[in-house]
Amino acid sequence: MVKNLVYFFPHLRSMQNSREGESPAAELALENKPITEYMVGPAPLEGTNFDEDWACYRDDDVIRQQDAIQAVEAEKIPLVGDKEHILALAEEFQSGSPVIQSKIKLLSEKYSNLRRTRGDGNCFFRGFMFSYLEHILDSQDGSEVDRIQSSIVQCKKALQDLGYAEFTFEDFFMLFIEQLQCVFNGHGDSYGHDELLKRSQDPSVSNYVVMFLRFVTTGEIRRRSDFYEPFILGISDSSVDQFCKTAVEPMGAESDQVQIIALSDALGVPIRVVYLDGSTTSLEVNHHDFIPTLQDEKTQSNEGSESKINQSPEPFVTLLYRPGHYDILYAK
Amino acid sequence: MLDAARVQKELVECNKDCHISGISVDLHRDGSSLYHLTGTISGPLDTPYEGGAFEIDIVLSESYPFQPPKMQFKTKVWHPNISSQNGAICLDILKDQWSPALTLKTALLSLQALLSAPAPNDPQDAVVAKQCLNDHTTFVATARYWTEAFAMRTTVGTEEKVKKLMEMGFPENLVRSALENVKGDENMALEKLCSG
Repeated sequence: MVKNLVYFFPHLRSMQNSREGESPAAELALENKPITEYMVGPAPLEGTNFDEDWACYRDDDVIRQQDAIQAVEAEKIPLVGDKEHILALAEEFQSGSPVIQSKIKLLSEKYSNLRRTRGDGNCFFRGFMFSYLEHILDSQDGSEVDRIQSSIVQCKKALQDLGYAEFTFEDFFMLFIEQLQCVFNGHGDSYGHDELLKRSQDPSVSNYVVMFLRFVTTGEIRRRSDFYEPFILGISDSSVDQFCKTAVEPMGAESDQVQIIALSDALGVPIRVVYLDGSTTSLEVNHHDFIPTLQDEKTQSNEGSESKINQSPEPFVTLLYRPGHYDILYAK
Repeated sequence: MLDAARVQKELVECNKDCHISGISVDLHRDGSSLYHLTGTISGPLDTPYEGGAFEIDIVLSESYPFQPPKMQFKTKVWHPNISSQNGAICLDILKDQWSPALTLKTALLSLQALLSAPAPNDPQDAVVAKQCLNDHTTFVATARYWTEAFAMRTTVGTEEKVKKLMEMGFPENLVRSALENVKGDENMALEKLCSG
């Protein structure tokens, strides 16, 4: 159970800049196995000892070692998991804090199921991807598909205007539109939930969609840098450009409010984030709705749900946030 | 599988304005593999690297552009963030700050910027870094010496040979490939060009 607590409170371990999921899981993996199991670098030279070998290790060796650790992790949790009963969460915290136990109980009154995503730093984007595509698959909402496609055209234009070379992002955009068309009646009955899950677990589809969403997010933040600058300065003391380069564009960079607001705004998709943590200030399970600002309102301020809740539809993308990680939630 | 279409587009894009940027990328030794490339950057003006042409070995993995390109200086260079032993580079975008939004060209531009702005407090080569911090004059002089010794000799030589052979009336592309084939020997290249 120690493992789950670490997973649940990764911020205790490293408050800053850790890649979500990666640090606790990777460290645990290293604790449990001899380090040689991850050694994929150059074979030790004859007559040298370990310390000297270390000097031979270079970036690609480190990257390969990280890949090896990730591969071990991959066997534990797929990129997107199966639908589970919401109370499966409780099992994780049997010996955990009673506050969390009772919060999970509260959660189960409103939400029936949970779908886990891998803690590889991309969990917010991955959760959004699956949840959105599954909604289109279930609803077959043609007007939503038309709407998001026109938003995507705007996002593409924004990136072009910002000076991004087209070949760096076009493949990612194409692949997402392809997935969208597949879930929207594209292949008739042959495309169902199983196929969506299979593709979401396949890195060659899933990672492309994640990268598409990262492009959309970075484009939105840069396009409206005046709006985002104070937020970014407040949380990271870096410029908009630095923030995008380090916290949005690299795969595995974890997401927070700024990225959520930007993605929701850029694609015009409302997102509900339900917060579950060990805080005792209130024994409720709070949520926050990220409601996109309409295109023509974008010059005005966007302060989330409070002001717009009346005219906004219920978000159909709902994510469960535990410090450092996002999973997908299903309402009853 | 490597995204071959993207790599090809990158090569074209990068070499389009190489006269302005001072940056180019080609297949490694005129090979046919898109996995192994050679980049060239010109040393930035007003630095000890000015006038040098630095070759960088580039290896792409199957999962490029999701994984960063592996880059290493082939030309010896005296710089705190580049190993004076093997050319290994300490630069965040070649590690965890890599993004598929970056390209070979932007990575090489970053290397060029790194030459302009050494970061001795985050070193790859501790000896160079120490010198850079404690004895900057010697550092600059050593870096300049290494540039002249390793980054200028071959390139300047080659350009002179190319010019000479072109003045004899041979087209540039033939001159260059002939020189390449004989590893820069001017007389052998001339013989090759004459024999057809």
